[in-house]
Amino acid sequence: MRILFINNNGSGYADYVNIAENTTIDQFFAIKMQGEQTGDYLIRVNRQPVPKDYCLCDGDRVTITPVKIEGAIC
Amino acid sequence: MRKEKIMKKYKNIVRLSNLLLEALCELKRQRLRQIQSSFEDFSYKCCDATKDSHLFYAAIEKGWLSGAEKVISRVSRNLNDFSYHLQRFKELINADETKLPKLSDVFAELSQIDQELGEYQFDLKERTISVITEPITLDDIPFGPFEIKLFIDQINKLYTDSPFRVIALEPNPAGADDNVTHPHVSSERLCEGDGHVSIRRSLEQGRFCDFFTMIVSVLQTYNPDSPYISLDDWEGISCYDCGCTVSGDDCYYCESCDRDYCSQCSTYCQMCDTTLCLGCAYECPSCNEPVCQSCTAKCKDCEEVFCKDCLTEDGLCQSCEEQRKEDSDEEQASESKKPETCVAVQSNSVGETIVHA
Repeated sequence: MRILFINNNGSGYADYVNIAENTTIDQFFAIKMQGEQTGDYLIRVNRQPVPKDYCLCDGDRVTITPVKIEGAIC
Repeated sequence: MRKEKIMKKYKNIVRLSNLLLEALCELKRQRLRQIQSSFEDFSYKCCDATKDSHLFYAAIEKGWLSGAEKVISRVSRNLNDFSYHLQRFKELINADETKLPKLSDVFAELSQIDQELGEYQFDLKERTISVITEPITLDDIPFGPFEIKLFIDQINKLYTDSPFRVIALEPNPAGADDNVTHPHVSSERLCEGDGHVSIRRSLEQGRFCDFFTMIVSVLQTYNPDSPYISLDDWEGISCYDCGCTVSGDDCYYCESCDRDYCSQCSTYCQMCDTTLCLGCAYECPSCNEPVCQSCTAKCKDCEEVFCKDCLTEDGLCQSCEEQRKEDSDEEQASESKKPETCVAVQSNSVGETIVHA
């Protein structure tokens, strides 16, 4: 099945990705954000927070946004 | 009555969504114009790569083989440049995958902002949409809440300027610079650092909730490697001369130029004890001590400036005083010789003659 994945980490991108049936949001995060902690990100499915065992459905919109972004001096 | 209120709010959200969508369309147009200009440049490059074909043809026809070889090496060089321009052009074309959101998407974004970041402010006259953050504290230093104000009419300038401002509502600016209200905010402009690309991309794609959320994330994070003013120096004052930050107790205020200096860049008047910066202090050429302007005076003879301690009661410096003394001694000496010669001349009547009437 296909979902829309919006990754606001790094350079950020929004793209459709194919995932296996019954993939939970926790598993999806582990695959896409290797080495990262869920606590450092705001995870939304269809604009709403979901429990980590939420099973993703076809056409879902997943947004992952870091809660800590280092600013700089311009 | 309640229904009317809800309808009014709903209408406002639709109006705002339309405005935002129009701004995104304009941004897209700007982007396409950029591609259009690159398109024209690329056409010229294509012409450049093949411009010598007629020379090559002529050289072959006339049997000028070395001339033809020269043309080939020139074409080869041109092709190297051409492949570079082709690659750049391909990148530019492929990078423009931004699809404009639908009105319903923008509407949903605004509802999400309401849910996640609290009620946003929409100023139709100013054409801005604002979100107010929670009070922000970094390393126990409170910065108060910030207003993130997005200027809708400036979204189309995204590639050249920042279309939003970050305004401190209860400012606690750095001691060294009132314009710095957060380690990463100067003159209401946020330096997004690591978030630069993703924040801009979210705006391009009309993901307004992500846009505001990421700005809040930058405001809630301190990057000690690259702040405008580090949190360690936040309460301090910057020396106007050398720029180093010093605490309030180690700061010296120059009463002459009204600026703050560190201990290395300040001194005091040796006569009246007024604090001065090194630039305003005057070093007396006689005693070499620093003094303030009001404790100096010009020597009446040489007009050089000295501290008042180094001038005599008559307003003379030491060397002019000595000079005057020497002059007066000489004068006295010459005056004491004068009467003798006069008497001798008159008594002898030398050079006098009788004039008949």
